[in-house]
Amino acid sequence: MESLKLIATIALAALVHFIGVRLWPDFVRAVDVFLVVVALHGLRGNSLSGLLVGLLVGLLQDTLTSGPFGLFGFADTIIGYVTARLAQRLVIQRPTGVLALVSFAAVLQQAITVGLAFLLLPAPETPSPVWAVIRAGACGVLGMAIYIVAGRWRNSSETRRRGRMSRLRLG
Amino acid sequence: MDERRTGWVLIVVLVGQLVYLAIQGARAGETRLEEVGLRVLGPMAHGVASIPEELSGAREGVKLRGTLLEENRQLRREAADLRLRLLRLTDVEGELQRLGNAVRYPTPPAGRIRAVDIVYADHTSWLRTLILYTGPVEARHNQPVLSPDGLVGRVVHVAGSYAKVQLITDRAAGVGGMILRTRRQGVVRGGLGTGLELDYVPLQADVRPGDRVLTAGIDGVYPRGIPIGTVASVEPGGQLFHRINVAPAVDFGTLDQVYLLEYQAVPQTLKETSPSGKP
Repeated sequence: MESLKLIATIALAALVHFIGVRLWPDFVRAVDVFLVVVALHGLRGNSLSGLLVGLLVGLLQDTLTSGPFGLFGFADTIIGYVTARLAQRLVIQRPTGVLALVSFAAVLQQAITVGLAFLLLPAPETPSPVWAVIRAGACGVLGMAIYIVAGRWRNSSETRRRGRMSRLRLG
Repeated sequence: MDERRTGWVLIVVLVGQLVYLAIQGARAGETRLEEVGLRVLGPMAHGVASIPEELSGAREGVKLRGTLLEENRQLRREAADLRLRLLRLTDVEGELQRLGNAVRYPTPPAGRIRAVDIVYADHTSWLRTLILYTGPVEARHNQPVLSPDGLVGRVVHVAGSYAKVQLITDRAAGVGGMILRTRRQGVVRGGLGTGLELDYVPLQADVRPGDRVLTAGIDGVYPRGIPIGTVASVEPGGQLFHRINVAPAVDFGTLDQVYLLEYQAVPQTLKETSPSGKP
């Protein structure tokens, strides 16, 4: 069930990515939906699952770029692991904490990909610092929004479940 | 699994990926994983790309109904003009053929073009790419990709009906180019941003802003004479070469359909027997 949910989430992220690029050509520079999925998955605190999901999502993302295949796979593996380890050590319950964590993940991902590109490519291009900041902020905001919506949805479904249970007891 | 073991898994996965990245250089365009990814994501991108087209097509159909007649008249006029021009060019082509035959100059065969749809385009980020839907007929590795305005790039990966294109604006791309006015050759590479650079043109060479740059047909991938762009600025680079910035002929932001050129510069048999060719 968990795996199915994860596959559906990745498929949804890909769909949002494609629609975003279709509507706004700068979408790729401004937001990284795949990274948000990896970082939010890492928030669960399971570092093995975090790194494996990072690897899978990163390799999918590599399919959509012209750089060396594995660039994002490498970066997202680290992101998945690092966010999971941070989630184990820090108590992240407030949406602003999620904003900070996902923004940090976005900065880290860009640093890793640029560093690797300099190691592997003859004349790599560095992303514009302005777009790097926008991307980190946008990823953080998106991650926070998803965290809030998911939390509310979880709460409301919990309330509904409790209501059903109490009706069953009364009956 | 405890955290220590997970740490080891992380190290193994990262080292494995680094080795994979390192060996890729020699096997560019042959990654199996990339093919799987393209087969998974390609149909999704194709689905997303086709929906808005249908919607906008219907909307435009209603909006333009009143002007269709006028547009039709204009297109007929243009078609008549083009037919006349084609007649003249056919005449010129025949003459060139005769002259070529007289001096026994083998004219390279002109390739056929095939229109294909773009299903995913990222031309703004630093890892820019284009994914095409080629239909039942698969694209070929290294196949040139054109637009009506000029050269777009080449196919670097094929996965069934989908093909990934390396744009000429990519930093890793290189095209043999020449300046039309002087026939001076150089190598066109992706520059910073969305521009291009023409490298290896010596300081003695006459280059001016506004000069048109075409493919030179010397790189074994692109045929001669396809527009690449226009020289935007010329600066003294180092001690030997100019630093030439070229504005691409193609506006990559407006592309929604491109053409695959059925062209093979160097016959496959020749490539296979060459010392550097792969077996």
